[in-house]
Amino acid sequence: MIKHIIKLIWNKKKSNFLMFLEIFFSFLILFAVFTFVVSNLRMYQSPLGFDTEDMWLAHLSFPSELDSATVADTKLRLVRELNAKPEIISVGFTNSITPFSGSTWVTSNDDNGFDLQTWVVEADEHYGPTAGVNIVEGRWFNEEDALGKYPAVVFNRKLWEEYFDEQPVLDSIYKLNGKENIVVGIVENYKYRSEFEEEYPTTLFHKPVHDAGLASLHIRLQPGTSVQFEEEVNQTIAGITKRSDFIIENLDEKRKDNSRSTWIPMITLLSICLFLILNVALGLFGVLWYNISKRRSEIGLRRALGATADNISFQFISEIMLVTIAGILAGSFFTLQFPLMKLLEVENIDYYYAMGLSALIITVLVLVCAFYPSRQAAGINPAIALHED
Amino acid sequence: MISLKDINKVYRTKTVETLALNNISLNVPKGEFLSIMGPSGCGKSTLLNIIGLIDEPSGGQVSIDGQNISNYNSKAIARFRNEKLGFIFQSFHLISDLSVIDNVELPLIYRKVGAKQRREMAEEALTQVGLKNRMRHFPSQLSGGQKQRVAIARAIVGKPSIILADEPTGNLDSVMGNEVMDILLNLNNNSGTTIVMVTHDESMARKTNRLVRLFDGSQVQ
Ligand SMILES: Nc1ncnc2c1ncn2[C@@H]1O[C@H](COP(=O)(O)OP(=O)(O)OP(=O)(O)O)[C@@H](O)[C@H]1O
Ligand SMILES: [Mg+2]
Repeated sequence: MIKHIIKLIWNKKKSNFLMFLEIFFSFLILFAVFTFVVSNLRMYQSPLGFDTEDMWLAHLSFPSELDSATVADTKLRLVRELNAKPEIISVGFTNSITPFSGSTWVTSNDDNGFDLQTWVVEADEHYGPTAGVNIVEGRWFNEEDALGKYPAVVFNRKLWEEYFDEQPVLDSIYKLNGKENIVVGIVENYKYRSEFEEEYPTTLFHKPVHDAGLASLHIRLQPGTSVQFEEEVNQTIAGITKRSDFIIENLDEKRKDNSRSTWIPMITLLSICLFLILNVALGLFGVLWYNISKRRSEIGLRRALGATADNISFQFISEIMLVTIAGILAGSFFTLQFPLMKLLEVENIDYYYAMGLSALIITVLVLVCAFYPSRQAAGINPAIALHED
Repeated sequence: MISLKDINKVYRTKTVETLALNNISLNVPKGEFLSIMGPSGCGKSTLLNIIGLIDEPSGGQVSIDGQNISNYNSKAIARFRNEKLGFIFQSFHLISDLSVIDNVELPLIYRKVGAKQRREMAEEALTQVGLKNRMRHFPSQLSGGQKQRVAIARAIVGKPSIILADEPTGNLDSVMGNEVMDILLNLNNNSGTTIVMVTHDESMARKTNRLVRLFDGSQVQ
């Protein structure tokens, strides 16, 4: 029966070719959209590695004409007075490479006997607990780190995995950024650029809290602190730094803003896809309907020769399914080149998911569209159909 | 073999009700070559479709080998059609997208005969109608007479015990018509196949064992 149906499809290759093309292109388009969506969603799944809720962020600046003692004095006063407020749990400083700010700093060298490339963030001893980073090995920085022989660094797991195969690295010395550093800890994640980003190998470098290079102030608040409190913080900071050229940002809002730039194209593409799918479905339905009405006498004949109603609907569903499978296979041949040749910076698994999802949706769609017309075909009265021409 | 008792057939459309068959009783014994004649619209095709179990009567009984077919479900009827009946139509009804041999194989596909045996049986049937050399052609490449011979090959490929032919020579000129008629007569004589044939042609009808005349849905002879 299947062989007979394949022969029938082959002999009608001209009219089936259009259907084949429709399936083929739908598959390619769905694949492209799903690759984008799946890879983004997969990245979205991996945690940021720090908290954004009840976190405020103020970018301060300490003009270069100020001597370091004055800056240190100002910063320590800030920490003391802010921590004294009951609404504030803790504060910490980083350099200007703050979450969702768009800035990055990458360094690479082969000073350790192998090529190593890492993203760089500088932070003080209070930042880790303030941001709620998740330490998996060792510890976060402490005040003694400033007194040690080597500056302290914390790796993220990605770096540990990629360059050290998760072998012990604590208390080892590595040359990074032109200096020798001692590894004191490892954090699970530190994905500070965006929720829709890969985690990159990242190193957090320690600088003491009074260092003038750390001017981004992170404030962790008691849950549910009202926005009105911002004014008070604003005045405290302005009073101590004697400057007003800073703004206080809500880190969670920043995260949402940042993610919106991916959610919006993603949802737009998916909606366009949905319309495409609906269009293809309507087209398919029309074509199937038309085909069956054109083939009424064939159906009548087959019934007269002994086909059951089930034989007829099986035939019509198989015909369309075989064309669909051919279209999906042809499409897969092209889309497989993406993972095989590593054409884009997307994980292979995302391509395979996208292919599977596209194939599944198209198959289900075709089955749904074919179901009613083929039931209709099965119900055709042979005596009437044979009488018609 | 097949017997009809008090068969009525009413076609209802929104506006009219047509009584296509009126109280027909007919017995077709095994091995008989029966012809049905009558003016256009008198119900000949309708009668043949009822004998062929592709249409149901509005009233009356159809029995096969003494069994009332209302006892059969639709699967069993499909199977009976497939194994016991062969159809030949005025307009051939070949599937244009299948080659001659594939058209002839069609009934065997529904009988789940294996591919190799199917091919052998189809070639044999085509040899019988003298068209084996055309088996790779498509229907559009054949003359009307050749198409009808392909249709006959398709009707006989499964070695049915009854052949139902609805004006098999209606679309053919007299030479080709006679060729087709000779094939049918041969089948009836040599294989003992029961044949019921609708025709408009007195000379064809005269070659058969028995003639049934219909007029306005009723049997007049
Ligand atoms: N599907 C149908 N719906 C309504 N009426 C029908 C249908 N099929 C046949 N009829 C009517 O039933 C009557 C008998 O039709 P049938 O086709 O059996 O005639 P026929 O004797 O075969 O005629 P012809 O010699 O022209 O083929 C006609 O009046 C026809 O109009
Ligand atoms: Mg007729």
